Order: sequence, then structure tokens, then C-alpha cells
Amino acid sequence: MAVMDTILAAASSSSSPNKAIKSIALGVGAGLGTIGPGIGVGYIFGKVIESVTRQPEMRDEITSIQWLGFALTEAIVFYAFIFGLIAFFLGG
Amino acid sequence: MRTRTKLLLALATWIALGILFGAIFGNAGRNNAFQPQNEFKLDPWVKIKLGSLDLSLNKAVLYIVLAATATSWTMVWISRRMQARPNRVQTAVEAAYILMRDNITFGNMDRRMATKWFPFIGTLFLFIWFSNIIGYFPLPVNTQEKFDLFGVHVPAFAIYAATANLSIPLVLTLMVWFSYHIEGIRTQGFVPYLRSWIPAGVQGFAAVPIFVIEVISHFVRIISLSVRLFANLLAGHLLILFMAGGLVVLLGLAAIGVFTLPVAVAFYAFEVVLIATLQAFIFATLAAIYFGGATAAHH
Repeated sequence: MAVMDTILAAASSSSSPNKAIKSIALGVGAGLGTIGPGIGVGYIFGKVIESVTRQPEMRDEITSIQWLGFALTEAIVFYAFIFGLIAFFLGG
Repeated sequence: MRTRTKLLLALATWIALGILFGAIFGNAGRNNAFQPQNEFKLDPWVKIKLGSLDLSLNKAVLYIVLAATATSWTMVWISRRMQARPNRVQTAVEAAYILMRDNITFGNMDRRMATKWFPFIGTLFLFIWFSNIIGYFPLPVNTQEKFDLFGVHVPAFAIYAATANLSIPLVLTLMVWFSYHIEGIRTQGFVPYLRSWIPAGVQGFAAVPIFVIEVISHFVRIISLSVRLFANLLAGHLLILFMAGGLVVLLGLAAIGVFTLPVAVAFYAFEVVLIATLQAFIFATLAAIYFGGATAAHH
């Protein structure tokens, strides 16, 4: 509990309430942004397992498409994060 | 049962270590002097100003020169020492070459276009890969913090990547964007190229909104391609920075470090093994897909 208290104390000693609210907004926004891509990445790997078990001879081809899909989906997390950062540092 | 006991014991030791650190070092108070975002701040080392244009040499310039040198020097060096019986390095480079040629370029374009654009796509892949990988080696580039090494003031070691700065991915993206449009216009002609954006089968008035959507999607490609690479690298560096010690120094809580350091090591491995290569691969593949789409006869 002592650890928790000190974290809360450190967090509440932020310079201005506006900044604290912005920090919370950045955290919540970036966190919400991970939900969709999380489902998407899980879906991609699930489908890959399904297709490889069905057609093991297609494995190499599926693997290369799998990484393409993974990278495209995973990047969406960072779009949310980066635009959150832009709003955090440049927003009024 | 025994493995489970061991695991539980290890977990208990770990948590106990965290509590111990918390008890011994306590809370040193919030550290306001430490500015972790300075890792991404570019101090001008050699000031060059042309009017209002800032061309100062800084950390990003050093990294981009390093990446370019590494790309050309390694590849020229290996190609000069090609042997019939390849050693391990040559095998790896040959595998990368085959990946770039067959998988990325020839898999997404027709033969003639692929032969023409393979050097460009291959260079993109290698340059981004080297610049990502160099970004994970700690180099003495943090000129704000210095430490004393036998009387010499050496800048503190820091990690930074040329691709973790929006400018470099943006320039690469603009190069790809303009080249594929120009190549599309050159192979198909201006009006047929614009017409090829509308999918086959769409007729009459419905083509207008679809064309507008296609125009928007072509511009969105600039953002998505550049921000994907930049954000992946930036977020990776931020995660490593905060987990490996940024949070500890910032909050003045040594106990947190016990729990965040393993996360930092895991993220570091994840970034080096997977993300660095994957982002170079995806950038080159998407560039090849855009070229293929712009120069394909019709869909």
C-alpha cells in the first residue's frame, strides 16, 4: 500500500490540474486505442493457426501474409498513441 | 507440482525484492529536473542556417549518415567477397536478397516493372532496416548529460533512431508516393491512370464519389505509411526508455524498477528481433504494392 500511496502522491503533485487531466486523457485514449488492434491481431493469428492446420503445405505463403497483416494491424495502436501525444503536447 | 512450486517461489522472491527495494530506498520524491523526452530532442551540434532554413547538424543527421554508410558499405563489402561456398553472413545476406527480390518486389509487380524498381525497393528495405537496428545500439549521443571517462567528457549513451523522427519516414514516403504516381502516369497515360483508380464495374454517377474516396485514400497513404514506421520506432524507444529506468528516476521510486526492468528487457528483445525487421519489410512491401497497383494494366 505504501507504494501505491507514493505513486498517487507523485501523480497528484503535478504542476497544474489541466496537465493532470491531459495526462489521464492521453492514457485512457491510448489504452482504448489498443482494444481494436488487440482483437485484430488475435483474429489474424487465430486464422493463421486455422489455415495452417487445414492446409499445412501453404504454411510459407501464409506466414508472409501473416506478418503483413500483423504489422498493418499493430500500427493502429501507435496511430492512437501518436495522435494522443500530438494532442498532449500541442493541444491548448 | 514441483515446477509450480518453483514458479511460485520465484514470483514470491521477485515481489519480496520489490517490497525490499521500496522499504530500503523509499520515495526519493518526484524528480522534476529529469526530462525523459529530451532523448528525442535534437540539439544542434554544428549550427548551419540558410535564411530561415535550419540545416544544423544534429543527432538525427548522425544517425542517418550512420545508416546510409552501414547500408552501402556492408552490401558492397559482402558483394566483393562473394564465394561459391557461402559463410554465415553471406547466407544471411543472400536470404535477405531473395526475400527482397522474390517476395517483396516480384510478388507485387509485373516482371518489367519489378526489374526496373527492384533496386529502389531493395534500398528502401535495407536502409530502413539498418537505421532501425542502429537505433537499438546505445551510442554516446546524449550531449546534454555527460559523464567523466578518464578525464574525457563523454556524452551519455542513449538510443535514438533516424526513423524515430517523423522527417525521415516522411521523406521516404514522399519519394515512394511521387514515384508511383509518376510511374503510373508514364505507363498508362494521365487520364487512363486516374480512371484506373475507379474499380471496374462502377458505372455512371456512382463513379464520382468513389473517385473522391480514392483521391482521399491516396493522400491518406502518405500519413499511414510514414506514421506507421515513425510511431512504431518512437513507441518502442519510449517503452524501453520508461521501463528501463525513466519511471524510476521520474518518480524517485526504486521499487518500481524491480518490476519494470524485466518488461524493458522483453520489449527490447521484441523490438530488435521482430519490429525492426518487420517495419522495414512492411514499408518495402507496401511501396511495392503501391507501385504494382499504379502500373497494373487494369483490375
